[in-house]
Amino acid sequence: MTLAENVFENLRLELRRGCLTLAVLAQLREERYGYTLRKALADDGLVIDESTLYPLLRRLEAQGLLASQWREEEKRNKRFYRLTPDGEKIFAQLFEEWQAINAAINASITASMKTTTSNL
Amino acid sequence: MELLDHYLESVKKHLPWQRQDDIIAELRANLESQLEEKEEALGRPLTQAEAEEWLKQLGAPIQVAAGYQPQQYLIGPAFYPTYRYVLKLACSWATIIYAIVTVVQVFATQNPSNTALLDAVLHLPWVLMMAAAWVTLIFAAIEFTVARGYVVLPAFCSPSPNWTPGSLPPLTHDAAAGKKPRSFAQAVAEVVFGILFLGWLLLIPQHPWLLMGPGAYWLKTSPFELAPVWVPFFWCLVAMNILQNGWNIEALISGRWQRPQPLKQAVFKVLGLLPAAIILTAPHQVVVLLRHPETAQMRDRLQLDAINHYFHWSTEVICAIIVLQLVWSAVQLTLNHYRKRAAAMQ
Repeated sequence: MTLAENVFENLRLELRRGCLTLAVLAQLREERYGYTLRKALADDGLVIDESTLYPLLRRLEAQGLLASQWREEEKRNKRFYRLTPDGEKIFAQLFEEWQAINAAINASITASMKTTTSNL
Repeated sequence: MELLDHYLESVKKHLPWQRQDDIIAELRANLESQLEEKEEALGRPLTQAEAEEWLKQLGAPIQVAAGYQPQQYLIGPAFYPTYRYVLKLACSWATIIYAIVTVVQVFATQNPSNTALLDAVLHLPWVLMMAAAWVTLIFAAIEFTVARGYVVLPAFCSPSPNWTPGSLPPLTHDAAAGKKPRSFAQAVAEVVFGILFLGWLLLIPQHPWLLMGPGAYWLKTSPFELAPVWVPFFWCLVAMNILQNGWNIEALISGRWQRPQPLKQAVFKVLGLLPAAIILTAPHQVVVLLRHPETAQMRDRLQLDAINHYFHWSTEVICAIIVLQLVWSAVQLTLNHYRKRAAAMQ
């Protein structure tokens, strides 16, 4: 991996880290267990490694944003997660923040593209 | 699937023991669901090679388990800047003290040789490693106790959230010239290191090896002993150190650590002359005595004279350097004062 690729990879991971938490919280407004959550995220275009997703669920639960319970489904015990009331509140705030950041970045890019085009 | 069992067993070994079973049960449920789906899609069980490839994609067991470990630091970001500063300070002091002790040892031996000097130089990395190891150990212990809430640091040890831009210190000459200003970490480190240094200093009379290392044994068995002049010299150093620590602590608590303290610097430069003056005024310029003068050999007497002579001479040189520094500081202060007055008159 070249230096530039390495820098890109680090920045990409950094960018993804916060987004993944938001995506997980968004999915867990509906109860899911680890594997179906991973599949749902992948179906939406967000592929997450098992080694990232499953520990993340534990951390979010420790922070009080998720609640979990063991339950049997299809003859197998599975741990199901869903948002707690605190988690819902924080998800709403994070989503608002995300939209504001997204809008600001879009505005900046649109403005800089207009300037570039007018200079041409 | 046997391979999956092996994999999960290996992951388990690296997990926090309190949550091992719970995590493995969850991981197993998720991975078995995934496996089941893969096999359904293929319409047959996975071959050995396919299973190996799948598990390989999941990641090495130690990496998978690492995700479940709490984030831990030997020295966390809160203490790291202070740690770096204290480490630099400790290594600098260790080098200075070791250099002084080595010079004294080498020139006090009956036959000083280049080999002894070379040995001492080669031993320096070990001394630095020891100093670094002790500082790291102390900071790791602080991190461990503070991070787990066993100890709560006093308010003055954490940067106050109630600051206002107006309370920021005025720009010093160094800061205006683009040099780094004195940080809070430096101020705290000065207090911590000052107290540790005082403790170390007070232990020296009972444990001279703390200062001289193996040289303490040599001093004990050598035909020489220290003259009584070292007693007032030692207590003078202790008093100066207590004064300096008190001054630093007071400045830290009152928040004056941010401001430059030219008076303090001047006072300590002047006080620095006191220990040197004690040595210079030693009766007959004697700082080292013969342990048994009645039975001493001529060679020891000659060596004693040489030691006392060179010691007196080096103390005079040190005094001259301190006086020159004082004169230079006085000239700088006068010039600054003159510049400020001239600027105010324009």
